[in-house]
Amino acid sequence: MNNHQVTRGMQFTGAVVLSIALLAGASCKKSSSGGDGAKPPIVIGITADASGQYAASGDSDRRGVLMAIAEFNAKGGVLGRPIKWVHLDTETTPATGSRVAERLIKQDKVAFLVGAMSSGVANAISQVAQKYGVIYLNTNSSSPSESGENCHRVKFVWDGNGNNFAQASVKGAIGKFGKKWLLITNDYGWGHDTSNGTRKLVTKNGGTIVGEILVPQGTRDFSATLLKIQQYSPDVVAAAVGGDDLKAMRAQVGQMKLGSKYAWINNQQDWPDVYGLPRTDLFGVFGTTWYHGFDLPGVKEFVARYQKENADSKIKTPGNVFYNGYWATRSLLEAVEKAKTTNNVAVIKELEQWKIPAKDRMQDHDAYMNPKDHQLQQTVYLASANLDSTNPDDLFKIVSNTAPGEVEDKDSEAKCKLEAYEATPAYEP
Amino acid sequence: MALTNSVTTKSALAGARGVGWVTRPMLVTLALLLSFPLWAETVGLYPYLGIEVVIWMIYALGFNLLLGYTGLPSFGHGAFFGVGAYAYALCHQSITQNPLVALFCGALAGGLAAALVACFIAHRRGIYFALMTIACGQVFWFVSMKWHSLTGGEDGLLNIHRATMSLGVAHLNLQGNITVYYFVVAVLAICLVFLWRLVHSPFGKALQAIRMNETRARFVGYNVWLTKWAVFALSGAFAGLSGGLLAIAQESAYPNVMSVHASGFVVMATLIGGGTVSFWGPLIGALVFIVARDLLGALTETWLLWYGLLFMLVVLFKPEGIAGAWQGYKDRLFRRAAAIPPPITREAENGSV
Amino acid sequence: MNLLPHVVNGVALGVLFGLLALGFMLIVGVMEVINLAHGSLFALGAYLAMEIISPRWLGAAGEGFLALPLALRYGLALVLAPLLVGVLGMGLERAVRRTYGKKAEYGLLLTFGAALVLEEAIRIVWGPGEQNLPVPDSVNGGFVVGDLIYSRYRFFAAALGIVLMALVWVFLERTPYGARVKAGAHDSEMVRALGINISRLRVFVFAFGAALAAIAGIILTPIWGLRPHVGVDAVIPAFLIIVLGGVGSFWGAVIAGQLVGITVGITGGFAAEWSMMSMYLLLIFVLTFRARGLLGKKSALEA
Repeated sequence: MNNHQVTRGMQFTGAVVLSIALLAGASCKKSSSGGDGAKPPIVIGITADASGQYAASGDSDRRGVLMAIAEFNAKGGVLGRPIKWVHLDTETTPATGSRVAERLIKQDKVAFLVGAMSSGVANAISQVAQKYGVIYLNTNSSSPSESGENCHRVKFVWDGNGNNFAQASVKGAIGKFGKKWLLITNDYGWGHDTSNGTRKLVTKNGGTIVGEILVPQGTRDFSATLLKIQQYSPDVVAAAVGGDDLKAMRAQVGQMKLGSKYAWINNQQDWPDVYGLPRTDLFGVFGTTWYHGFDLPGVKEFVARYQKENADSKIKTPGNVFYNGYWATRSLLEAVEKAKTTNNVAVIKELEQWKIPAKDRMQDHDAYMNPKDHQLQQTVYLASANLDSTNPDDLFKIVSNTAPGEVEDKDSEAKCKLEAYEATPAYEP
Repeated sequence: MALTNSVTTKSALAGARGVGWVTRPMLVTLALLLSFPLWAETVGLYPYLGIEVVIWMIYALGFNLLLGYTGLPSFGHGAFFGVGAYAYALCHQSITQNPLVALFCGALAGGLAAALVACFIAHRRGIYFALMTIACGQVFWFVSMKWHSLTGGEDGLLNIHRATMSLGVAHLNLQGNITVYYFVVAVLAICLVFLWRLVHSPFGKALQAIRMNETRARFVGYNVWLTKWAVFALSGAFAGLSGGLLAIAQESAYPNVMSVHASGFVVMATLIGGGTVSFWGPLIGALVFIVARDLLGALTETWLLWYGLLFMLVVLFKPEGIAGAWQGYKDRLFRRAAAIPPPITREAENGSV
Repeated sequence: MNLLPHVVNGVALGVLFGLLALGFMLIVGVMEVINLAHGSLFALGAYLAMEIISPRWLGAAGEGFLALPLALRYGLALVLAPLLVGVLGMGLERAVRRTYGKKAEYGLLLTFGAALVLEEAIRIVWGPGEQNLPVPDSVNGGFVVGDLIYSRYRFFAAALGIVLMALVWVFLERTPYGARVKAGAHDSEMVRALGINISRLRVFVFAFGAALAAIAGIILTPIWGLRPHVGVDAVIPAFLIIVLGGVGSFWGAVIAGQLVGITVGITGGFAAEWSMMSMYLLLIFVLTFRARGLLGKKSALEA
């Protein structure tokens, strides 16, 4: 060993220590402050995406969670404990979701995890959450597998999924538009799941599938697909295209004004994705769980509160994503209050029996949690573009509403195997 | 160029007594890493982060064989990382739950995938090499998304539970994060020794000869194609090994690690750390890269902005990376303290090599 | 007969791909910098155009402007936004300048950093959501040939693309400045020896490349939709086309654009699930037989 190498060893040591010290020194958390009360705060870890494909929806999701938290803090918190929060970006990447969940649980010592847009990220987070027994609310990922093969005892799903929407739309559409159906399927798990659900319902109700066009993930140019659709000339086009692919397809269908040529049946259209777009881009019939234009009691007040607390948001009216984030968090905190403890199993048992009356929920029917697969059963709406209005916020026209009992996703329920209570580690933050 | 300088100096000095198996910086590094769980919480870090840092250290060290030593920029290494993770998960699911065997599968699969890719690109240089690696990486990524029955598509392979490892006399339970951490540090230690020996072996010399001038290396008698092919496959095996380790850490194998972005991250980590001038560069780079990502992500929602600025600043002002900056600083300090005339400049020395 | 519409569509798509790669080609060809910020400049061009078309920030003063026909404002945006992005490109060149003479990775890493910064800046200014770049009604909608509807805008965009490519060609081949740019691509030492100010040439080329990226953004985002990370979708195909065509070759980029467009168009029609993969397989296939792409010449980037 010579001198030169010794100094190099020191160099490395120095560099390591220096960089850690620098970065760690800068580490203060982007989170709520306050909470000097006698009782320790309850910390909620928000895992909404801030970058990547779902950044815009993740932002809405986060705002919904924050409004529910603010509501409870105004009442003095839960169980006398103030509620704090930490938000980390999951980058719409499962591997990052996994790391972020570890960080939130082990370092930030969160009591609960809330927030999801992409099912891949939600899976990654729920797996870590299940390992530690931390309750995780999947607010907005609408893949059927979330309450199917990837369900977990600690995870609760608050959005309607593809199968729910398909059940709400297919039967009526066959009667109204015709029997020749064409499927446009995003070529990945979610797309195939959704299209298979539609296919089953179509054949069950006497329709025929004339073809299926698989669209690879990441497709930006749909010209070939749109030509192919015309060559098939179906009565109904059922599209299961998601994320940025859908945004590109929307723009191209709108441009060619193909939206009115066929009866399009689309999956759920998230409010942050369509907000600000021209109406021609919103073609066909699509699903949603909530709309700010509902003529139901409480909606106006809800919208006013959103506008007051989110003046900085580019989205001037709350949509389904915000609504789900809000309701998931609110239900969780109410369940904690009702259970009188933060013990995970006690809260899980409360949530499994959770019921939300229609008038609170601002939907047409009561909503309830399915204890077998942990998916909230709620009213499902079909909507189309509102061509009668020029108000930029009044984009949707609600076509129908279907009670939760009629759109149950039995396929997913059958695939779901929840872990036993005993197999879920105890966690009481 | 500076790498050659330091490495040749070192090997010349060591030539007399041979390069050791274990060096002092190696011991210091390992001591620091081993003590990390003790002081992690006090500096605001957590054991799981340590696992990812060490995994990325192995990944970047293997990658630097290609980038720093051979001068071949690959932008598709995420593919081999991902293949390793899938291989680990599949092996765990259907062959054996022994992590060592499954890790070997991961490294082997990464190595084989890289060996296959290398057949197409080992005769390339510079930009065409880089672009072909991107294209091949993309093909792997598409296959992983499409081959749903094998890879689980965009969900990946889930529920790869951490198993208990039998070591003959003792059992190592890999459940806790701290145990996994020590396990990956042990793997890193083995990799460090192996790579240290490798870069000082005739093979390592061949790599550097190729980086400095491929044509000349060929004239001197090296089998350039075979050497490039071998180093690509080898670094792919290290990527596969790290992928397998990540599958242990995350108990899953996800496809996103194969994307172009993720592949670009290892290039950045290696360059930022100073992989082109120092054997230790990738370690520093992986540390800074992962810790900065974690802390900035916690600090601000606009972390990408600061991350991008950090990269720009490093390239603008310290293109040799952190290790390079540190070496420059030490050199200046040393010269001033000793008050001796500066040694022959690097350029001059290089010219004389 | 079913094939023909897909071939026609593929040709139009190919022109758009070629257009996408044009600015990238210029910068990598002349300066040997792989400009990964190409995608972000592409996105920025579209965002700036959107602001020029409907300047909400002008308030009452903008009302009069908004009363002008959309076609006029669109045309104005098509000229102004690329100029602004070109100015930004000049700034970027000042940073990239420090990496000249070093390995290609440094330029690449620097522009990657710049891409992240630009993308995040766009997200901060315009928000993460989907935006809409309006196009005049006269080029919107569909037209019917046979019994199929084609997008009018797509063919308008392709026509615009051909005009731009022709302009770039005329500039490179028929003007003295173009000759210098080309000479700079082949042998910068020689150009310097001839007394041409090479730094000024590089600033100009970078600005020109950035402006072309912006134009491509303005033309393509009405098709793709506009969001902060749209640049990622642009930079990878651009990359691919450059390599396929041969680094620094104008005709290489044009032909490669056509090849990729037709391949993607036809696979999109008949084996849609392979349409994304097809371009990469095409690249690997071509490069296995032609090491430097279709029309590539030896480049310093290979050293």
